[in-house]
Amino acid sequence: MERNIVLIALFAALIAALGLVPKLTLISGVPISAQSLGVMLCGTVLGAKRGALAVLLFLLLVAVGLPLLAGGRGGLGMFVGVTAGFLYGWVIAAFVTGWIVETWRSVPLFWSAFAASVVGGIIVLYVPGIIGMALVLDKPLAVATGFATPFLPGDVIKAVIAGLVTAALYRARPDSVLSRSR
Amino acid sequence: MRHATDMPEQAGGVALAGVTFIRNDRRIIDDLTLRLDERRIGLVGRNGSGKSTLARLIAGLIPADSGDVRVGGVDVARDRKAAIRIVGILFQNPDHQIIFPTVAEEIAFGLGQLGEGKAGSRAGALEMLSRFGCTDWADRPVHVLSQGQRHLVCLMAVLAMQPGLIVLDEPLSGLDIPTTRALTAYLDRLDQQIIHITHDPATLAGYGRVLWLDQGKIALDGAPDQVLPAYVAAMQGGQDDLADLAG
Amino acid sequence: MISLTSPVETPFHRWPAGLKLAGLSAATFLMFLTDDPWLLLAALGGVVAAYAIGGWRFLAAGLRLLRPVWVFVVVVAAWHLYTADLVGGSAVVLRLLAAVGMANLVTMTTRLSDMIAVIRLLLAPLRRIGLSTGALEIAVALVIRFVPVLAQKGGNLAEAWRARSPRRAGWRIVAPLALMALDDADHVAEALRARGGVQ
Repeated sequence: MERNIVLIALFAALIAALGLVPKLTLISGVPISAQSLGVMLCGTVLGAKRGALAVLLFLLLVAVGLPLLAGGRGGLGMFVGVTAGFLYGWVIAAFVTGWIVETWRSVPLFWSAFAASVVGGIIVLYVPGIIGMALVLDKPLAVATGFATPFLPGDVIKAVIAGLVTAALYRARPDSVLSRSR
Repeated sequence: MRHATDMPEQAGGVALAGVTFIRNDRRIIDDLTLRLDERRIGLVGRNGSGKSTLARLIAGLIPADSGDVRVGGVDVARDRKAAIRIVGILFQNPDHQIIFPTVAEEIAFGLGQLGEGKAGSRAGALEMLSRFGCTDWADRPVHVLSQGQRHLVCLMAVLAMQPGLIVLDEPLSGLDIPTTRALTAYLDRLDQQIIHITHDPATLAGYGRVLWLDQGKIALDGAPDQVLPAYVAAMQGGQDDLADLAG
Repeated sequence: MISLTSPVETPFHRWPAGLKLAGLSAATFLMFLTDDPWLLLAALGGVVAAYAIGGWRFLAAGLRLLRPVWVFVVVVAAWHLYTADLVGGSAVVLRLLAAVGMANLVTMTTRLSDMIAVIRLLLAPLRRIGLSTGALEIAVALVIRFVPVLAQKGGNLAEAWRARSPRRAGWRIVAPLALMALDDADHVAEALRARGGVQ
């Protein structure tokens, strides 16, 4: 019980810390936030339920006014703005990512964590994200999809990193990767 | 002394009977039987000798694989509700101990756990802060305090719960000399029974008893002037090179 | 941690947090129902006036908080200039600015403790059916406590990397940072248990 609560809280804090520390820069020079990498890791490391709860806890603290999103952003405005759909989507993304890693155990952890991050952290995440953009900007879904595509290469790289990091954690502390142990 | 009535008059000391703790097929604590009644007890030993495990067993944080650990007659690993009134533990790294963002919240937490209400917990926390002359720390964020100050917050959080026994798991390592001195002075003044794990034999000079733990067993047990010289000699007699670490 | 609550005291700071949040939800919902640019302009005017009550410094802080929105305002404006649908375009832009501005206004005028009190109130039904909300309160405290700790550890790791590599650390510190979070979690869970655990 205690361990679950602390893990959920510390991974929520990890998402925030990833928004502060490393600025990832793509080869093309587009800076990308590592926070959605944190969301993928919540799923791949903590599993579906705990991962989604960690993201939910993080968003709760953003909503009550803590500047935990990358660039020191936060507050209720983020939940009605153009990218709000992606924030709501993070919860589902962490859940689906975690669920896939928990379920698909017949391949090495890197591959299942990478695939889970692509499916959960990109495909599933983009659905509410694009719907949100279409609603707020009052544009057809196809146009909103166009707005989201520049982020795709960065997100694929993040899925690869999520796979690598999860596999590395599993090598270092097999018991800690809760999506696989049990 | 809000909770004094709920506690047994005498803490009653620590009793281990045939305690074994196994992790990864290694006997970290190996069939240990001990009674610890002295007010000040030191525990020395090399890294990996089982000191920290013994501390956690006495604090009831981990259950023994076999045998019985009782503090003041209470089975501390199973009866957690009674255990938190009887034994407190101070860890080496305050960042692993402090749960709350502000000092007063951190100290008040333990009081809440003992059944005190919100207002009463806060009042108790402020009272504890004033005892140490740091009332102005109450609403400070923990992360702006220095390492030594954070150690003191941990000590206050443990003391607020008024346990009869406090286990110290190397709380002084890594601190500078003045901070070590100040914390030692605080610790020396405490009425509680103390079991102190340390790598620094000098801090145990005035203690009633010192245990030397090696590979989960007691290597030597007695007064500090018997145990400590033998321990220091053994530590310095060994090879100085790092080949020892590689094994 | 410093929250986004404004240090400039406005009359709205004294309004009950629950009322502000309920009003915000209702107003946002209504704004998404209408496409009338004049109604939405009036809404935005009301929001700007509310910021103005707080004074210039407050208004400037509010504008800074709108930063993430400006890019989209420019994109949408350009789009509608191109398609010559100025009425539709102005409705989108006005709604976006009014909705986000109003939400930020609530954030800027409501203290963290008041927000958490509202959450506790919303969770009261859970307590009545016997669920413990103590876990959530501890979790919230832990996050606020550990963001600076992990951020500092991340900084230390990046420094240790730079000390031995000519290149920036980037994502390579994510694994050791996550490992530290996992190890910290074990220790903190133990410390929590040492003081009676989660009831």
